[in-house]
Amino acid sequence: MRKIYLLTICCLFLLQIVSGQQNPVKLFSLSLQQSPISSLINEIETKSSYHFYYDATQFDSLKVSLQVIDKPLETVLELVLKNTGFHYAITGEKVFLTKGRQIRTDLAPGYTMAAPAMPNNQTATADYTTELDKKIPDATTENKLYEIGLKTNTIKSGNAILSGYVRNIKSGEAVVGASIYVAATKTGVATDQFGYFNITLPRGRHTLNIRGLGMRDTRRQIFLYTDGKLNIEMQEQVNSLKEVKISGEKVANVRSVELGITRLNIKDIKQIPTAFGEADVLKVVLTLPGVTSVGEATTGFNVRGGAADENLILLDGSTIYNPAHFFGFFAAFNPDIVKDIELYKSSIPEKFGGRLSSVLDITNREGNKKIFTGSAGIGLLTSRLNVEGPIIKDKTSFIFGGRTTYSDWLLSALPEAYKHSSASFYDFNLDISHQINDKNNLYVSSYISNDKFRLNSDTNYSYSNKSILLKWKHNFNNKLYSVVSGGVDRYQYDVNSTANAINAYDLNFKINQTNFKTDFNYYLSNKHTITFGLSSILYHVNPGSFEPDGAKSLILPQVVSPEQALESALYLGDKFDVTADLTISAGIRYNIYSYLGAHTVDQYAPNLPRDAANVLDSTSYKSGQFINTYSAPDIRVSARYLLNDNLSVKAAYNTLHQYIHLLSNSTSISPTDIYKLSDPNIKPESGDQVSFGIFKNARANTIEMSVEVYYKRLRNYLDYRSGAVLLLNEHIERDVINTRGKAYGAEFLVKKTAGKLNGWFSYTYSRTFLRQDDPYAGEFINGGKYYPANYDKPHAFNFTGNYKFTHRYSISLDMAYSTGRPITLPIAKYIYAGSERVFYSDRNVYRIPDYFRSDFSLNIEGNHKIHQKTHNSWTIGVYNLTGRQNAYSTFFTEQSGVISGYKLSIFAAPIPFINYNIRF
Amino acid sequence: MGKNLRYLILLIFTVLVIDCKKPYNPPAIVAANSYLVVDGIINSGTDSTTIRLTQTTNLSSKITVSPVLHAVVVVESDLNATYPLKETKNGFYVSAGLNLDNSRKYRLRIITTAINSGKQYVSDFVSVVNSPPIDSINYTLNNDGIAIFSNTHDAKNLTRYYRWDYQETWVFTANFHSHYKSDGYLVTARNFREDDVYKCWRTDTSNTIVLGSSAKLVNDVIVNNPITSIASSSEKLGTKYSILVKQYGLSADAYKFWQNLKKNTEQLGGVFDAQPSQIIGNIHCVTDPSEPVIGYISAGRYSSVRIFIDNAQLPRWSTANPYPLCKVDTFLFRYPVPGTRDTVNQVNIAINYLSKANSNPKDPLIPIEALPVRPGDAVPMGYTGSQRVCVDCTLRGTNKQPAFWK
Repeated sequence: MRKIYLLTICCLFLLQIVSGQQNPVKLFSLSLQQSPISSLINEIETKSSYHFYYDATQFDSLKVSLQVIDKPLETVLELVLKNTGFHYAITGEKVFLTKGRQIRTDLAPGYTMAAPAMPNNQTATADYTTELDKKIPDATTENKLYEIGLKTNTIKSGNAILSGYVRNIKSGEAVVGASIYVAATKTGVATDQFGYFNITLPRGRHTLNIRGLGMRDTRRQIFLYTDGKLNIEMQEQVNSLKEVKISGEKVANVRSVELGITRLNIKDIKQIPTAFGEADVLKVVLTLPGVTSVGEATTGFNVRGGAADENLILLDGSTIYNPAHFFGFFAAFNPDIVKDIELYKSSIPEKFGGRLSSVLDITNREGNKKIFTGSAGIGLLTSRLNVEGPIIKDKTSFIFGGRTTYSDWLLSALPEAYKHSSASFYDFNLDISHQINDKNNLYVSSYISNDKFRLNSDTNYSYSNKSILLKWKHNFNNKLYSVVSGGVDRYQYDVNSTANAINAYDLNFKINQTNFKTDFNYYLSNKHTITFGLSSILYHVNPGSFEPDGAKSLILPQVVSPEQALESALYLGDKFDVTADLTISAGIRYNIYSYLGAHTVDQYAPNLPRDAANVLDSTSYKSGQFINTYSAPDIRVSARYLLNDNLSVKAAYNTLHQYIHLLSNSTSISPTDIYKLSDPNIKPESGDQVSFGIFKNARANTIEMSVEVYYKRLRNYLDYRSGAVLLLNEHIERDVINTRGKAYGAEFLVKKTAGKLNGWFSYTYSRTFLRQDDPYAGEFINGGKYYPANYDKPHAFNFTGNYKFTHRYSISLDMAYSTGRPITLPIAKYIYAGSERVFYSDRNVYRIPDYFRSDFSLNIEGNHKIHQKTHNSWTIGVYNLTGRQNAYSTFFTEQSGVISGYKLSIFAAPIPFINYNIRF
Repeated sequence: MGKNLRYLILLIFTVLVIDCKKPYNPPAIVAANSYLVVDGIINSGTDSTTIRLTQTTNLSSKITVSPVLHAVVVVESDLNATYPLKETKNGFYVSAGLNLDNSRKYRLRIITTAINSGKQYVSDFVSVVNSPPIDSINYTLNNDGIAIFSNTHDAKNLTRYYRWDYQETWVFTANFHSHYKSDGYLVTARNFREDDVYKCWRTDTSNTIVLGSSAKLVNDVIVNNPITSIASSSEKLGTKYSILVKQYGLSADAYKFWQNLKKNTEQLGGVFDAQPSQIIGNIHCVTDPSEPVIGYISAGRYSSVRIFIDNAQLPRWSTANPYPLCKVDTFLFRYPVPGTRDTVNQVNIAINYLSKANSNPKDPLIPIEALPVRPGDAVPMGYTGSQRVCVDCTLRGTNKQPAFWK
């Protein structure tokens, strides 16, 4: 490449010299009518010493009509070739006619208004005019000047719009969240989920700085004449090489309008040590400020004081109800398929809704559109494989990922008492993306996960997620595009026991949701980006069926009546750049939720506890009949004010509604929890949050700092009466109580994104309280006062760091500290029914000991030749380095008439792990 | 690598799964949490009704039982009939068979004395739920011992909710059979009719809550409901064992209470187990409605069955000796001290606990058998003897045969 540049520079230099020796101007008078170019050339050649060089076949189609008197050759050719796609160049007495490309002999127009060229920054000239059926250029070269739009000699004042895709040059995959920034005008945009961008710039020459997560920084030089398209291809950041590692959020941290958003790519995720050594999407989420969990080995996580079911977990747009395998030891997402994750804690875009606390948006990679590749990983308990490649080169690709465990042999090696346990799981992803044409793209993603286990008893548990989604993206024009998607998500579990033939049973739970969604994105102008759309979810819930298993079983079949509901929403949002420094994003989402028949609903006497004795009437509704409808608007507003290039303040206010509730009587999400839809007796949960943040970048954007504070209110959050029965309960409303919640906190984050040492540390102070404020619930929790929620952990500190010694060796250290979770402690003892028993305190007034854990891992990469058949890497590490026996829970139990307190720890000792990964 | 890896993994799992439960001592809870505990049922039949009143004690306190004395305890019917209970001892309040009308509802009223702040408590009115007869109590053999089951049914499908408790009685023997005893100064022959301490009966009451329900079944049938299990090496099965199983019928509400109590005090701690919650019974403090009261009052008649299991019916299991270190020593009246011409009275030193020479008068040894009589002597040379726990079964039971024993 470099040689070509040199050659070009030499040529240009020579041409300059030649043109410098030009004779006094010769003038021509010509008159032509619909003549071929050859007539013109003949006439000029005969009237002067000029000689033309051109390819006659290319000029067949050009007809010349001309009337000039005493004009220089340049003017003549200018008139003839204007807007034809043909170009000329004159050096001395030689005239070159070209099609498409111009041989330039002088400085490009507008060259003078551009920044002074760097020594190796000489531009090779290429000219592109917009024609509708012309292929949009793929801009792959940094030092080339790309001319956009209809070329004109003079530059009109005003703005023009540039749009296009940013893609990975190797795989053709979209680069999401890449920032495109023009320093001179301080304008910046980020690519959306499809890698699409749209930026309005003053006409003229610009340098676009492009930064993408996991990609090498690059820039493009453009000359913008009119509106036009430019696709940008970026190089992947080659792992562990010496370039500065750049995060796509670098500028975004300060410049984006949203608060409380974290985006992590899989490379960051893979640096964080986990038990058993496999990169874990959910464990990483737990290291972020504002995110806690009730303990290790839990499926759920709590965001800013929300319950575990208040997080919307999306995998490429499909809702995942149970995101974990093996009691929560592993995330149910294949790290080889996942591209990046985004966690929205505060500013939740209008297009998302239906959950109160957060959205965790997990995006899978698109399959490689150019070549077949794959990877495999072997760990102590799991193995995984991923294959991807083109189906039609550059158009259609697939990606497949699978994981499975082989822990059964391990369990069988255990002592007798544990021998009869078994556990197994698998998950598969298959995604296909297809480019129909420039304007239409089609995506199919499918996912299945399955878990089976038996914990040393005769009861078998299994659960499974299944999803399929079809997505169609259509570009109407430069400014407007739409995404239409439809799919089905399913979650189900099954518990069965056949140990006692008389009592053998099979318990089933199932939730099925059918989604339809359209999202529109409209770049109204440089100042307004409008999003709007609608979404609809049809729920079918089978809250439980309990059936005899086997002919001998005397079990009375019990099927809790299925529930149906339709949750729809319409939204409209506008991102408004008021000035260069102030941006406001405002939106509204209007939710309409209807509970549908067939169902029988009880009406309770007003102002009395909801129990069987107070049922006034019960009404049966026919299938598909609207039983009742809740509707409410969600307001989403956020604003950013840029104090200077590296410092901004942001504020946001959000309201949210939730119509589906997880009912769980235990501390962690367990496989027998059930989902309940809002109905006339169970009101939707609602919440609002106000947050404020200060964001600062330092040291050339390599250090990001932020402070965010928030205050949040929750209404109609469900808590349980003492001894509530949730499973197979036709009248759940009698066992739950409405509570009101409040949560507030401050989150501090310092993140270093570049250099040998990178990582982040965060400190969070947060409180979450619930209060049972329903005077007719029949019982008060803690006398009706505020009590801390199960996941109220005031202080949380996290450190995640990675240090690269060389290109091949790096170490990661991960530290987490948090205040112990609140618990209900026994406060007195007594003798009852022949045994000493304990009396429990008010709910959640005590705490378990503080939590501390540190993990360490060493990552060894194979050699760094890019072109080799396989790349391999090792991860060796220790989870819970200090071996601290963190209390997962404490409990008091009576054995032989004596009460003893116990502390249950999971991962109570340092756990070494090793993992081998191979890429091909 | 292969073998090492295997060990490594095993180690990991051992740590993970086995070592995850550790004793935990909660921060000392010093507040004086003293709540009334009401234990017992209103017996509607011919049997006596016994209610026990206690108070909760602090977890850190060494006192386990704090009885409530001198209270007034009365059973009341919804027709305002009253049946007072008489205090016996230690907070027990008893009445003879009440023979109540099964169609009425009953409740309990308690008035404590000024020492216990003179408060008044009442339970909710409850219907009488009588238990159907127990069909059978049986047992099955398994590798580890025996499991005892109960079976019952209610032809009218009315009872649905059940609770069981039980009383186990078994024969056991001391390690050594003592033929002699010491009155403190002298060793005399034992009166076997009254004072045999070799063979005893021990009785224990159940300390777990056993519940069962047929609510989910088509018929009101309880089949093979586990009552308890006994390890094969247990002393209970060493000779002969008997169990008296009492079956109570419960209302749905009472069943909920017992289940909640069981969940809170017996079943917590598993990863998927429910959180503890405050236990709400059906007794309320009239004087201070916010004061928690522990207990649930039911009314009804229980049914019971006793079975016997003889060691001969069981496989040849070996019984674990509770005192495996017991041994027999000999004690002479005239023991020559080595290296001297002196003798010492070992019988006085070790056995005759009132003798000045006795080295351990608080826990003297018990004579077992007499040593031979030396020609010309009137008394034996001495006695064999052992620790009291090795000889005296009454330390752990009674040597009076229970009336029901056969």
